[in-house]
Amino acid sequence: MEGQTRRNPPEGPSWVVPFDRRFFDGADPFTRIGGGAIGGKAQGLALIRERILSRLSPQPFDGIEVVVPTLAVIATDRFDAFLERNGLRELALSDEPDDRKAQAFQRAELPAELAGDLRALALQLRTPLAVRSSSLLEDALEHPFAGVYATKMIPNNQHDADTRFRRLTEAVKFVWASTFFREALAYARSVGVDPAGEKMAVILQEIVGRRRGERFHPDIAGVARSYNYYPTGHAKPEHGVVNLAYGLGKTIVDGGTAWTYSPAFPKAPPPYNSLRDLLRQTQTTFWTVHMGAPPAWDPTRETEYMRQLPVTAAEDDEALRFLVSTYDAGADRLVPGAGIDGPRLLDFARLLKFDEVPLNALLRRLLRLAEEEVGAAVELEFAMTLDPRDGLPARLGLLQVRPMAVSEEEVEVTEEDLLRPNAVVTAGFVLGNGARDDVADVVYLKPQRFSADATPAIAAELEPFNRALLEAGRPYLLIGFGRWGSSEPWLGVPVQWSQISGARAIVEATLPQMSPDLSQGSHFFHNLIGSRVLYLCVPHEGSGRGRIDWDWLDGLPAVGETEHVRHVRTPTALRLRVDGRRGRGMVLRDE
Amino acid sequence: MAGKSAFNPFEMAQAQFDKVANLLDLDAGTRELLRFPLREYAFSIPVRMDDGKVKVFRGFRVQHNDARGPTKGGIRFHPQETIDTVRALAMWMTWKCAVVDIPLGGGKGGVICDPHNLSPREQEAICRGWVRQLAKDVGPLVDVPAPDVMTNAQHMLWMLDEFEAIHGAKYPGFITGKPVGMGGSLGRTEATGYGLVFTLREALKELGLRPEQTCASVQGFGNVAQYAIELYHQLGGKTLCVSCWDQADQTSYSFRKSSGIDLRELRSITDRFGGIDKGKARERGYEVLPGEAWLTQEVDILMPCALENQVTGDNAGGIHKRVRIVAEGANGPTTPEADRVLQQRGIFVIPDFLANAGGVTCSYFEQVQSNMNYFWEKDEVLGKLDVKMTSAFLAVSDLARRKKLFQRDAAYVIAVNRVAQACKDRGWV
Repeated sequence: MEGQTRRNPPEGPSWVVPFDRRFFDGADPFTRIGGGAIGGKAQGLALIRERILSRLSPQPFDGIEVVVPTLAVIATDRFDAFLERNGLRELALSDEPDDRKAQAFQRAELPAELAGDLRALALQLRTPLAVRSSSLLEDALEHPFAGVYATKMIPNNQHDADTRFRRLTEAVKFVWASTFFREALAYARSVGVDPAGEKMAVILQEIVGRRRGERFHPDIAGVARSYNYYPTGHAKPEHGVVNLAYGLGKTIVDGGTAWTYSPAFPKAPPPYNSLRDLLRQTQTTFWTVHMGAPPAWDPTRETEYMRQLPVTAAEDDEALRFLVSTYDAGADRLVPGAGIDGPRLLDFARLLKFDEVPLNALLRRLLRLAEEEVGAAVELEFAMTLDPRDGLPARLGLLQVRPMAVSEEEVEVTEEDLLRPNAVVTAGFVLGNGARDDVADVVYLKPQRFSADATPAIAAELEPFNRALLEAGRPYLLIGFGRWGSSEPWLGVPVQWSQISGARAIVEATLPQMSPDLSQGSHFFHNLIGSRVLYLCVPHEGSGRGRIDWDWLDGLPAVGETEHVRHVRTPTALRLRVDGRRGRGMVLRDE
Repeated sequence: MAGKSAFNPFEMAQAQFDKVANLLDLDAGTRELLRFPLREYAFSIPVRMDDGKVKVFRGFRVQHNDARGPTKGGIRFHPQETIDTVRALAMWMTWKCAVVDIPLGGGKGGVICDPHNLSPREQEAICRGWVRQLAKDVGPLVDVPAPDVMTNAQHMLWMLDEFEAIHGAKYPGFITGKPVGMGGSLGRTEATGYGLVFTLREALKELGLRPEQTCASVQGFGNVAQYAIELYHQLGGKTLCVSCWDQADQTSYSFRKSSGIDLRELRSITDRFGGIDKGKARERGYEVLPGEAWLTQEVDILMPCALENQVTGDNAGGIHKRVRIVAEGANGPTTPEADRVLQQRGIFVIPDFLANAGGVTCSYFEQVQSNMNYFWEKDEVLGKLDVKMTSAFLAVSDLARRKKLFQRDAAYVIAVNRVAQACKDRGWV
């Protein structure tokens, strides 16, 4: 590979000591099993511990204990041994379906030198564990593989050590298998990385949280970013943005509804027209590790031991009652806490407005320290517990730090440009920054055939177009309605990243009934930004600036077509321009 | 092997026991009980040979002590088998089961024969004859045999079949070492060799050495040696020399490669008894040296994985000064005289009945699985094996450090103490 430099796999800092088979009471809360690399995510955690937390003062931070939750990382040499000794490489890199690969990995044997360490863990631990991917490529600045690989949460509370051991090994094998799932292979290829070179370390980590009956989860999960692509009100991009949710962070990274605010203005309400609007947009479901009766055994399902519950199921939790506000219909106002009956809004008001726990001050401090250490805009994932009954002691576990890609390319799109007659798409709201002149393929959803209840079918229809264009090496422009990558089909097309990974520019046309914001904490969003995909938002008629020349698109001959999707090729390459500073974008055809 | 004929392994086993009994200050009754086997069986096995003549083979079974559970031990087919060898090995089995803390006692059996010179039918007749003689005195709750020197899974199946025919029911827990799918346990083949390296790995940690910075020399190239080398290489170590018995020449040779042996390559030119083809080895760049050369190599680790009585007062002086660890894969490979040399030189010895207890531990797992008729995944077997071996090693090395004992003595102290306590608890002494 002349001309290409290959980074040495990060082996992890020298202070990472070998796992001594004691997890919580070992010599160090950050240990390594085996040799070789520890992967991007573990590197990030090492950085948090050594260079961010070491500079955080005071510690505890005004009553909040800040930690990297206890972990042991299975280094990549164990992954290599597992693949080699079980002869899995060929299958892994093949086009076999994910479940076939997952099954084959489950049947394969652990390296003998690893089995004892996992057995020792299973013997001593009876609390939930997160089994997390930490690949060589994951979280590298140039290739953000966020959410592409699996994480498995296991309750690890079975009475019998043999069962705990089996569940743990199943989870490790599942995370290893996810290195080669369709989405991961497609994503690797789309960013020009040879999947054969990918190696997976696995982090076995304490889950920050508390058990309540059959549920185990943190009180607050969050994603804090030091750069905000969608600033509203007085907020500026460099003020950053924070998403908070009740329960596990899956709500946020899957793009579900969470509380979003600017760390510079924690008390400012989100830009909704009325309290009633706000109440309609509040978090209504949350994720938890299921600690109760064993679910149907399915080691190849990432959410095997997770449950999504309505927030009302936690109505009696002290912590939840502390975090919500209640709508007082008589006074048409929000009252902090759950002292009165009424609709609840998960707005974290007693933290953010009344500063009863200085979470925002801590996040701002952590973001600044992390930016200084990384030398770029950063994203932090965290989870927190607090106890409102006992003087509010809080514990915040940092789960991940990732650099964010912020393009500095100078592109200018003026107000006049938006009126050009040869514009195929113009947008007064964009994401990302940059220019491309190499796109001549357009895949778009037929406006006349689109309906919200067809979005899951549309996601499936898109995949073959994406695969064919990826294989042909043709970047394309994707145009559709609603929020791309939504986990909620009625808000947009619920595509996986792999189903549209070849798109280099994406147009989101809003509809009157479908105009939600993208969740900036979601993995989809992260991959979008990280892959430098240009994103143009074209509002529905009468709600903002921008338009799409549907007539011109429909006039081009179809290269391929399904019920909801059409693929056309333009006679000459389109010119894509996205001006992130001014928030304008356009796609031009030759005049 | 000149000069070794006077060696009596039972006397050596008793001498080792006496030393520990003194350390533990055991009472006279307990000493008397544990110095000798509880029960011994010696019997004849008449077999009609392929040529039509009847030949009578001598068989043994020794049950040394069953205070902690049914006795457990292998059956050896060996032309030089003696009752004293079997007695010594049965006693060592008692200590071995106790040191890894599995609920079994010690036993051993054997038949004076050389399977190299016997047809499969003749071997089957010996196996069935052995069981017929002992059918009332062995069994899953009494005494559980296993393969040993020159016996294998096929022999075990013949014995199991005979036992079940006599008792009129299925007793897969009667015997271990069965093939997988016929009541055998996954991981059994690897267990002794892997178990040896699990303890070696811990010893290296204790000495502050990283496996990838070490090299080893191994005596023997049978099952134990091969799997020990396999896992040791997987941990990053390098083996420079192995030795093995040459059936044709009736002597042993050492095979050396300074860049490190290639396990797969050597396996491909090895017969089923662990004999390496020396012609092919030379072609592949190995130096073929005299049998004892494995002991004098410049390495960090020596792994005697062949027979007993190999490192002696006569040859221990030849051990290279670089050697830090002797991990005994074989039973009784080091004589007490050699032990003194190792101790004086500060060489870390992982004593045989701890180092090679992986085999019996996995046999115990097999018996548990067989009794349940429910079989585990290999991950589970090896995971349990590692934890068991590691905790046994740590207990021994911890005691050795605290009481300033030689490793072998520390292991004996733990094992003998457990057995003596069980005898006491039962009211025997």
